[in-house]
Amino acid sequence: MIGPGIKRGTAELAVLSVLEDGPLHGYELARRIEQQTKGTLRFTLAALYPMLYRMEQRRWIHGSWETGSNGRRRRCYRLTAEGKKKLSPIRQEWAELFHALRRLTKVPHA
Amino acid sequence: MPDWQKLVSQRLSGLALDAAEKEEVHAELAAHLEDFYESLRTKGLSEQAAIQQTQAQVANWPDLRRKILIAKKGRDFMKKRLHQLWIPGFLTFILSTVFLMTLQKLGFRPRIVGDGPNAILFCAPWLASLLFVGALGAYLSSRAGGSRGAALFASVFPVLALTTAFLLMFPIDLIVERAIGRQVDFSLVATAILREGIGWILVPGAALLAGGLLAQFLLSQRLTSRSVTGN
Repeated sequence: MIGPGIKRGTAELAVLSVLEDGPLHGYELARRIEQQTKGTLRFTLAALYPMLYRMEQRRWIHGSWETGSNGRRRRCYRLTAEGKKKLSPIRQEWAELFHALRRLTKVPHA
Repeated sequence: MPDWQKLVSQRLSGLALDAAEKEEVHAELAAHLEDFYESLRTKGLSEQAAIQQTQAQVANWPDLRRKILIAKKGRDFMKKRLHQLWIPGFLTFILSTVFLMTLQKLGFRPRIVGDGPNAILFCAPWLASLLFVGALGAYLSSRAGGSRGAALFASVFPVLALTTAFLLMFPIDLIVERAIGRQVDFSLVATAILREGIGWILVPGAALLAGGLLAQFLLSQRLTSRSVTGN
């Protein structure tokens, strides 16, 4: 079973990576992650927002209200400079973890 | 389409954030549910199925409320609230109850004011002890960094608990009386609420509050004298 620490780490990496491409509001962010991982990673509202607020408190992301072309107000999140700085070591850690697991389990590279 | 804003506001009404921040959270989560619902409808789901799937986005609202609070305020916030509010509050409650029971065991008779069914019981030594108990609650809360409001809440916590018990007790009593077929005299019930309210809530509450205010006054004096002497 994947522990909460690993789950949280995966989720944070996913959010930071997707926001690297540009600002998104919560629903769109969840949809983008689901699409790009072909449904492997899915976030419900209950899982997504506490994480976004936690990341915002750490100043990795910043949320601000914006009005879309359809006139609807949505809170958009963008990656901060601190978040960009954080992304690189997190990616490195995960790359090392996956590499180690591949060697251990002998699972072929996807 | 369901009113998602109303649903979120109702389910997360107890979120302990300031009003503006709470409003923002409600609006953001409602917008998410609205988008999710609309995407399901666009995919061709029936209204009922879309509502069900959208509602399944949150299986446990109290848990979400707790997680949002921790995310926004940090884990320390919950710990602080325990030390500033609940521990001093329950301590005042336990101390006031134990002291009253001890006085009764020692044979102290409460003083009766008034006649017949309107008589109100006052236990002077207990009321005097509540000054100390209220002060202790406020002191412990302030020492843990509690605000003025938190300290006063901790002081008067025993009467808040009693008020809740009273509010529950009387309707239950009325239901039981009716169930066993007794005639309920509402004027008697009203008199009893007033009598017990004065004897067990209003006067003890005033004593606890006075103790809490006194402790706050003494603590503020001590802080002022410390800041004057530079210690």
